[in-house]
Amino acid sequence: MVGDETGARATEESDRERPEDCEHSERPGHSERPGHSERPGRSGRPEHGETAIRLDGVTVDFEAVRALADVDLRVGEGEFVTVIGPSGCGKTTMLRAVGGLQAPSEGTVRVGGDPPDRARADGEFGFVFQRHALLPWKSALENVVFLRKMAGKPADREQARDLLETVGLAGFEEARPAELSGGMRQRVAIARALHLGASVLLMDEPFGELDELTREEMGVEVRRVWRDQRKTVLFVTHSVPEAVFLADRCVVMSDDPGEIEAVFDVELPRPRDESVYGTAAFQEQVAAVRTALHEGYELR
Amino acid sequence: MSYADRIPAAGVSLPIGALAAGLAAWWALVALLGIPAYLLPTPVAVARRLADRPNLYLRNGTITLRTILAGGAAGVLGGFGAAAVAVHSTVLRRALSPYLVTARVLPKIAVAPLLLVWLGTGAGTALAFVALVAFFPTFVNAAAGLDETPDEYLDLLRSVEAGPVRTFLFVRIPAALPSVFAGLKQSAALAVVGTVVAEWILTDAGLGYLVLLGAENVQTDVVLAAVAVLFAEGMAIYGAVVAVENRVSW
Repeated sequence: MVGDETGARATEESDRERPEDCEHSERPGHSERPGHSERPGRSGRPEHGETAIRLDGVTVDFEAVRALADVDLRVGEGEFVTVIGPSGCGKTTMLRAVGGLQAPSEGTVRVGGDPPDRARADGEFGFVFQRHALLPWKSALENVVFLRKMAGKPADREQARDLLETVGLAGFEEARPAELSGGMRQRVAIARALHLGASVLLMDEPFGELDELTREEMGVEVRRVWRDQRKTVLFVTHSVPEAVFLADRCVVMSDDPGEIEAVFDVELPRPRDESVYGTAAFQEQVAAVRTALHEGYELR
Repeated sequence: MSYADRIPAAGVSLPIGALAAGLAAWWALVALLGIPAYLLPTPVAVARRLADRPNLYLRNGTITLRTILAGGAAGVLGGFGAAAVAVHSTVLRRALSPYLVTARVLPKIAVAPLLLVWLGTGAGTALAFVALVAFFPTFVNAAAGLDETPDEYLDLLRSVEAGPVRTFLFVRIPAALPSVFAGLKQSAALAVVGTVVAEWILTDAGLGYLVLLGAENVQTDVVLAAVAVLFAEGMAIYGAVVAVENRVSW
């Protein structure tokens, strides 16, 4: 339904300035949404003056395979950026490169101006993986506290309890991971990442194993937590609605080799609750992202 | 709800019932078939043997228990330590892994005569043999467990720059505990077997020696009395390992 996406094909300039909104404010029925000219002052939008994450020409090769090709990206401080693309498009590799778990073959990554290893040593990152990676022999609370201890920081049980409450798990402090549902485990993983006190959350398909309804609920939750905690978030997903709902900006990647296909500014109400899922604006945005995804996709 | 759930204290009462039934069947068999006592004495005759010479069984039982515990502990600690070293060396692990798997089927008991040649008879040789026999199951299982730490845990620890020591102590070891205990249980069982064999061919004391002596003199009641004490010791050791596992492992 969305035919003219050329405005969104903005890979090259994504580092200089954000590409203009992919949504077509000239299209009838969308005039109530703020146009892109008002972008800096939108209500509820965090100010991202400082660049928190910066990728310049990042290429990652695995032996003969180029997983990531010449990726440029800027993520502002306090910004919520989602990354979507087909399986194997290098989105996880990009996330790992930002977190210093994967060294780029070419190009540079800077987090708060520092190389990722340095940023990681400074405790700038909180990872949330697709597999929740909760230790099965520890309670929810112990899991939250544990990682902070491993990071060499003094554990703060009171704060850990508060964070579990923040993610909606009051009363489950002593539960073992095996006693929690998939969604609850990911909430613990999020609390654990927050407890690190990191400024940047790197989330790799954290809801990939959850059912759709739980996913949508978790999306609302994550936006709320993000607003409260003022973190910079880079969030990898392969769900289009999730990528749109969560994002201030949504990065669409294509595969073989993995590169940025388009970057969308997401114009949806802030704060967002589950009612957003039903709005025409949301559907519109989802359709636009989906079109860009298909344009970068070749069936093999 | 199965029928077993309606029996009071089924976890204890059923095994004890089975033991009692086994003893009763044994007794009935001897009585009904008129088996001569030198072939198979009744349970009562065996019990009488134990009661007549309690010190003999206590003394030899203590010697045996000491060998099982000391030799077993040395083997298990050595096995775990070697596994901890092995998982940190890719070269070592790759070089050894095919042999580690086959070490399970290798009849380690067959090396006992060799130890006899090298170390002579005596309690020290017996300890070395028991340690050797107990070493392998713990080593193989602990090495597998320590090596199979899920990648997501390791990534998580890397993401906060936790060093290899912390990672090993707080993630690799706890994650490997179920495997380690599987190995410990095998080692415990083998330490008992190894001790009996050691007492047959390396020393002249202990319950194993008593078994041998009884058989040479066709005193089957002595043999069975020694076996009964051995059985109790083996159960106690295995039970202790399981008790620790339930407390420590997940």
